[in-house]
Amino acid sequence: MTARARPGAILPEILRSLGHRPATEPYPYKTIEVPAGFRGRIEVAEEKCIGCSKCAIVCPTECIEMVAGERDVTHQGRILKRKRKPVVHLLSCIRCGLCEDACPTDPKAIFLTEKFSGAYTERDVIVG
Amino acid sequence: MDAGLLTLYLFVFPGILFLLGFAFFSEWYDRRLTARMQNRMGPPFLQPFADFVKLLSKEDITPTGVPRRLYAAIPLFAFAAVATAFLYVPVLGAASPFGFPGDLVLVLYLLTLPTILVFLLGWTSNNVFARLGAVRSVSQLFVYEVPFFLAALGPALAYETWALGDIVARQAGGLWIVLFEPLGFAVLLIALQAKLERVPFDIPEAETEIVAGPTTELTGKKLALWNVSKDMLLATGAALVVALFLGGPTLPGVTLDGVLGAVIAFFVFFLKVLFVLLLLALLKAALGRLRLDQLMDWGWKVLTPAALVQIAVVLAVKAGGWL
Amino acid sequence: MPEVELLIGPQHPALKEPVNFKVVVDGERIVRLDLDISYNHRGIEKAAETRDFSKSMYLLERICGICSHAHTTVFSKGIETLMNIEPPPRGKWIRTLVAELERIHSHLLWLGVAAHEIGYNTLFMYTWRDRETVQNILEMISGNRVNYGMNAIGGVRRDLSDPMRQRVLEGLRLLAERADYYLEVVPKEETLVVRTRGVGRLATDKAIELGAVGPTARGSNVPFDVRRDDPYLAYGDVPFDVITSTACDVFGRVEVRVKELVQSVRMCIHMVENLPPGEILVKPPRTAPAGEYVSRLEAPRGELLYFLRTRGTDKVDRVSVRTPTLANWPSVVSAIQGHVIADIPVVVAAIDPCLSCTSRMTFTDVDRGERSSLSWDELVEYGIRYYREKEGL
Repeated sequence: MTARARPGAILPEILRSLGHRPATEPYPYKTIEVPAGFRGRIEVAEEKCIGCSKCAIVCPTECIEMVAGERDVTHQGRILKRKRKPVVHLLSCIRCGLCEDACPTDPKAIFLTEKFSGAYTERDVIVG
Repeated sequence: MDAGLLTLYLFVFPGILFLLGFAFFSEWYDRRLTARMQNRMGPPFLQPFADFVKLLSKEDITPTGVPRRLYAAIPLFAFAAVATAFLYVPVLGAASPFGFPGDLVLVLYLLTLPTILVFLLGWTSNNVFARLGAVRSVSQLFVYEVPFFLAALGPALAYETWALGDIVARQAGGLWIVLFEPLGFAVLLIALQAKLERVPFDIPEAETEIVAGPTTELTGKKLALWNVSKDMLLATGAALVVALFLGGPTLPGVTLDGVLGAVIAFFVFFLKVLFVLLLLALLKAALGRLRLDQLMDWGWKVLTPAALVQIAVVLAVKAGGWL
Repeated sequence: MPEVELLIGPQHPALKEPVNFKVVVDGERIVRLDLDISYNHRGIEKAAETRDFSKSMYLLERICGICSHAHTTVFSKGIETLMNIEPPPRGKWIRTLVAELERIHSHLLWLGVAAHEIGYNTLFMYTWRDRETVQNILEMISGNRVNYGMNAIGGVRRDLSDPMRQRVLEGLRLLAERADYYLEVVPKEETLVVRTRGVGRLATDKAIELGAVGPTARGSNVPFDVRRDDPYLAYGDVPFDVITSTACDVFGRVEVRVKELVQSVRMCIHMVENLPPGEILVKPPRTAPAGEYVSRLEAPRGELLYFLRTRGTDKVDRVSVRTPTLANWPSVVSAIQGHVIADIPVVVAAIDPCLSCTSRMTFTDVDRGERSSLSWDELVEYGIRYYREKEGL
């Protein structure tokens, strides 16, 4: 790093940039492509959940609450009556995915989606 | 000019309303150019106007311990000084209708006023950051004012006149002063950048060091007026450079008469101003901020001697009879 | 002007996080600087004691946004050593890859912030644009742009598929070009050089005495790098040099970081091309045997040190975090002597301060030369005494 310093060393890059398109992504006028495996919102497929509460036990922020919810669930070929279902408090969720890893059903009853847009206008929508 | 046309000139075009529009346009153009140089998008066209309107609606607070009327008057004085200076700059034809022999001196002095007002603003604000910024602003004034005046002296000396109208008219033949005084052009641009307190000379308003410098305590309408004055200073400074060095609103070799002539002259003037704004934006984008002692060092060792060399060259050329 | 006390902070445009500098200035020259950190203290060390290992991993990850992977890596490394398990090679290499990507991210971010501190906004915009490439790579690998959540006790949670590797390599090649460009341009730009040369002088012996770590120490020619001195993860298998600079001032630190940026990109390319096959995670036992361990690694800002004590349960008994920024603050106070106000943001930005990492409470008794930290009971007693004496409660 012994070259002589002069003012305006970045000038060639500036002039090149004047000819290029801006690097800004004009969101929300253009949709954003997220890669596969992006950690988006957590969603629950109630018809698959067997109510084991493993997700609530594993969650680091303890944002999953098991609430009452009677339903019939098909699990390993049998129909079972289940009493509890998980509700995710999206404001506390850190989208770590431990709940998805801990869920014993296949396909998973609680899973990370790729929905990244988190802005809502009503609070009720984000609780569960 | 009769009273009606004079009033139109004064208040509409190229008077106050035009100047306001021109100021907003200059700020937009500068911000957009800088953004594109930095490979990003930049604000939409109405952004400066939107900022102005937004600030007008904000709460206007005068801190305790600050003389209220004086504090409120300072942005008004700055606005008035710059607006008056713009009256003498030729925009439509070779001379402004208010021009008189010696108006260059008047314009230069009027353009010094905003810096003095910056100092007053910072000093009377009851805020340590503002006070520091005010002191820095005056220190910077000593560094760039001499080269600025000397560089503006160059064209006046070349054509032996203090009237802006004469300087522009004498360049109408095509011999723009920048062609034989390039050093003076460079010095004037750099000194103008320092007068406008933009990077690399935005030491008084160094955001990362002293919050906002002298304007720290300005809010609401006062801040709106102050920002507009700064934009007007940019516009007037660019127009002055165009008039002094680039031939103002004249096209080489073409006589522009009547209404069509005035329109073409204005268009030519506009293009030249865009060029000067491009150069100023390049200066702003390509460099980092200097420290005050480094600026003083460089200013007195490089900038002022360059201006003096230019004056010496002009004198020599005149003595040799080539002009 | 007589001596004025200037309060830079806790809220100030120069600061990204709250810290308080009480500067006494005479005109522009600094007479005295008092530092007040700990505005960001969140009680994380205490909170980690009530959570089991996998939960406290996510707590510790959020100590800092930019060195998040470093915190989880050093924690999982320490717990794995206490448990006597070792992650498989592929897991170790992926951990190292993400750590070096984080270093690239951190240095690019720092370059932009340092440029902004001296008003050089163009370089700020360019480096942050290039930072988007790194964040896209990390998003592809881990699903998130900050706080990656890659680490688990026993390995990593996500794998790199082959098409992913190709895309990562493309991104890295672009970054290599840009990093070389910065290496070329940054020392050539005169306004940057003039603002950083000779500023914030920290002689080599002073740097060692004050305990500076990371690029701050290496910029003062102290050849200390945990990756070489105490090798961990895959650093034994990836070729790299320890970069030092003889400049001993802010410019030296700039030089070290830009060169480290270039080197990290090359290391990442090497790691992606030579990733060993196999498993990424080994299942850990539920509890860790009783023991104590000091786990350390080279975070982007310097040496990050965790003291871990376990008691045979599934929770950690005590975790004590010594972050690199905490070690570097005394060097700021020493280096700023005799400078002007305009140099404060430059010298502070040169240690790459991460105040979220800093706020740990350590009590040093200078007279007796001992370092202690108050236990919970002592702290409670101290608090009661303090309020009784000072506030009459």
